[in-house]
Amino acid sequence: MALSAIEVGDLTKDFGGLRAVDRVSLRVAAGERRVLIGPNGAGKTTLFHCITGTLRTSAGRVSLFGRDVTHLPEHRRTALGMGRTFQTSNVFMDLSLLENLVLAIIGTDRRKWVMHRSVGTFEAVRAKAREGLELVALAHRANDAAKFLSYGERRQLELALALNSDPRVLFLDEPCAGLSPSERHSISRMIGELPRDITVLMIEHDMDVALRLADRVTVLHRGRAILEGTPTEVQTNPEVREVYFGHV
Amino acid sequence: MPKAARILLALVVLAAAVLLPRVAGPFWLGLVTQMYVFGLLALSVDLLLGHAGLFSLCHASFFAVSAYTTAILQVRHAVPTALAAPAGILAGTILGLVFGLAVRTRGVYFILITIAFGYVVWGVAHRWSSFTGGDNGVTNVPFPALGTLRVESPTEYYYLVLAVLVLCTIGYRVLVASPFGLTLRGIKASETRMRSLGYHSDLHLYVAFVVSAALASLAGVLYVYYNRFVNPVAASFPISVEVALMAIVGGTGTIVGPFIGSGIILGLRNWVSSFFELYASVMGLVFIVVVLWAPDGVVGLVVRLWVRAVKAGTR
Repeated sequence: MALSAIEVGDLTKDFGGLRAVDRVSLRVAAGERRVLIGPNGAGKTTLFHCITGTLRTSAGRVSLFGRDVTHLPEHRRTALGMGRTFQTSNVFMDLSLLENLVLAIIGTDRRKWVMHRSVGTFEAVRAKAREGLELVALAHRANDAAKFLSYGERRQLELALALNSDPRVLFLDEPCAGLSPSERHSISRMIGELPRDITVLMIEHDMDVALRLADRVTVLHRGRAILEGTPTEVQTNPEVREVYFGHV
Repeated sequence: MPKAARILLALVVLAAAVLLPRVAGPFWLGLVTQMYVFGLLALSVDLLLGHAGLFSLCHASFFAVSAYTTAILQVRHAVPTALAAPAGILAGTILGLVFGLAVRTRGVYFILITIAFGYVVWGVAHRWSSFTGGDNGVTNVPFPALGTLRVESPTEYYYLVLAVLVLCTIGYRVLVASPFGLTLRGIKASETRMRSLGYHSDLHLYVAFVVSAALASLAGVLYVYYNRFVNPVAASFPISVEVALMAIVGGTGTIVGPFIGSGIILGLRNWVSSFFELYASVMGLVFIVVVLWAPDGVVGLVVRLWVRAVKAGTR
């Protein structure tokens, strides 16, 4: 069997007495598009935080392409190929868009330590940053500070930051949350066009988006993974209909 | 402001600084030298405060440890400046390597721990009198000399400080514009995002802290040769607070800001204290006014007024 991009075994996260994630196991194949769904409070974001290292796990294992990363800090996991977006946009508000992207690009290489040359002299990095902005249709605002972007544009920048850290596995936490239908369409198209050498895990509330992009879907409910299957299987499963859509 | 105008302004200021000894008497020359030295110390504080978002209140420690080291070596052991001055900078920087561990904390905890560190150094300077000279400190520090090249007057020393200051400012400018400088501003803006992009943020802050301590130590060396003595006041908490205020009053995150702040605070202190004993309360008022009406400091205020004037002009 091919090496899994992400393998999570019995992952548990407790906040004091509250068990937010309860013995979740997942196996995501390289190149797969996996969507996590579940009602509010199901533990989806907490699970993401634990896999990417934003939070420490209480118990369980996480491995990335067969390598155990359970005890590695977040920045080391990023260096090994994890990239993520945040549910509420987490961009560098006071910096220009170009600087935002430069930080994403040099985050995993040694150039971040250079002290004796100005950023402006790194032509290759700047060119790549411009390309990255073009990809999310923000190139015309390269020199504006991120705080002047609209909500939707910030989501685009958020995605660009994650993409430019050169991830092998990309974690998207509700990339379309709070967007207008047209913005939602353009973001989901960008995600759909990502090359298959990037594995994508995505939390998404919008069922249309989720089911169109997903190869497989995992349903979380009260911290547990209650079902995994193809979009059609999940959609027709009576248990899912009950927890996710409520009683009919 | 367009680039040409900035360069022109910098040249005008530099020319004024170079010509100053021709018009200023010894009192003013001394005061301006002091403004340069404390401006440099405020600049070192601002690397953390304005760029990385860390409020350090122990920079008097690096300043004083380097001043004491240089003074003790030069006065008691007759070590020449060429060794005593670098030794001072080295001692302050080594202290920075230790105190830098404070970057494991953030926010109010960082402030508290740096205050505590500062008091430790002040306590040592104050109480270990057999080594530090206690309240009297170390006196009779000579002018610096490099072989046969020796500084022989306050005016010559003024030029030496000015030269060091210009070099430091250029170096600082390169540093804050570098990728490393950008990472500090990234950490200030969103540390969680930086971590998820692959940055070991504590390590970046630690390096910044040590660089900042080294710059503060350099200011300490310049101070001890200017002052010709050093006592525990140099290590005291009010110095740490005052230099942070200089950066804030002048404008954090800028290069000229800390120097402007140093000029304003030292100038005001000299003027007010000549006729009013409670000069410290006047400083407090100045600080309140700045925070309320010019939170970006003098530089921020000038930029704001400039933008408004340009807008009014184009209308």
